[in-house]
Amino acid sequence: MGRAIVITSGKGGVGKTTTTCNLGTAIAQLGMSVVLIDADIGLRNLDVVMGLENRIVYHVVDVVQGKCTAQKALIKDRRLENLWLLPASQTDDKDAVTPGDMKKLIAELKATHDYVLIDCPAGIEQGFKNAIAGADEAVVVATPEVSSIRDADRVVGLLAAKDIPTRLIVNRISAHLVKKGDMLSQADVIEILALELVGAVPLDEHVVASTNKGMPAVLEGKSAAAREFTRIAKRLVGLEVETVRETGGGFFARIGRALGLSPASAA
Amino acid sequence: MWKFRGKPSSREVAKGRLHLVLAHDRVGLEGGKLQEMRREIAAVICKYVPIDLDAVEVQIESKSRATELRVSSPLPARGSG
Repeated sequence: MGRAIVITSGKGGVGKTTTTCNLGTAIAQLGMSVVLIDADIGLRNLDVVMGLENRIVYHVVDVVQGKCTAQKALIKDRRLENLWLLPASQTDDKDAVTPGDMKKLIAELKATHDYVLIDCPAGIEQGFKNAIAGADEAVVVATPEVSSIRDADRVVGLLAAKDIPTRLIVNRISAHLVKKGDMLSQADVIEILALELVGAVPLDEHVVASTNKGMPAVLEGKSAAAREFTRIAKRLVGLEVETVRETGGGFFARIGRALGLSPASAA
Repeated sequence: MWKFRGKPSSREVAKGRLHLVLAHDRVGLEGGKLQEMRREIAAVICKYVPIDLDAVEVQIESKSRATELRVSSPLPARGSG
């Protein structure tokens, strides 16, 4: 029996889809089978971020409407043995799917796969309600900005009302800006949202380049963001990983940055 | 992380703004409703102690996930009213 994790944020543009893509790929790299579901019906994007847009035949609405089975709609990622994508429909409305449909679909996929990651649409309306319906736990992605954290807080309240255990990813953090006093630190965000942190992903230009190519950053190599996504994936599946470091890193990380050795200094 | 000349960093400003905004968001009281509540609380206090109605302040504060309503009012010294 697998586990379903919804990646959500409230606000759009904070990196939900990129996070879903990289965490799913990283969990698959650890040897577990993973299905990624794009729950953003009408505005699908997980397919292009994954670089699988040319292989779509069926989508989630086809499955819900009984036009094909879930297994048939899954697109297998050829780069990894055990990674699949269930794309969203680009033409339907959010109302084409109900929370009950999603629960049933996710239960079915959990029977055959270790992890189901659900990429939630922005907002807190129908699409959000559908996306969280079948989730065993939630990961809230927030960037260290007032608007993102405010929206994340709303979502955290809604998830708590549904008794869905929730953890936090702080995305696009810049150690340089935090140090200058011009960005909220990960500790600030944890304090404000009162959530357990599962990881803090540095602002990293490698992610922009891999998104351009439709290649998950974790498949591309050892960028700072890729390393953190891999650490988060390990924590999500319950592997022991060293505790999340405070922004700025330790003594050697600081020396490294001073010498321009750390990729995080590019941020 | 305060800078020289006592000017708070943008990080501190963001934190302060978030604490206030989230406190109100979490309670779901819009500005108008809050003022209405403030006037009613002031009127109730005034039934027992003579106070300046306009000096009563209500504040909503968030610490962690708990939110607190704080009402403050200067009270007159006994016999001065």
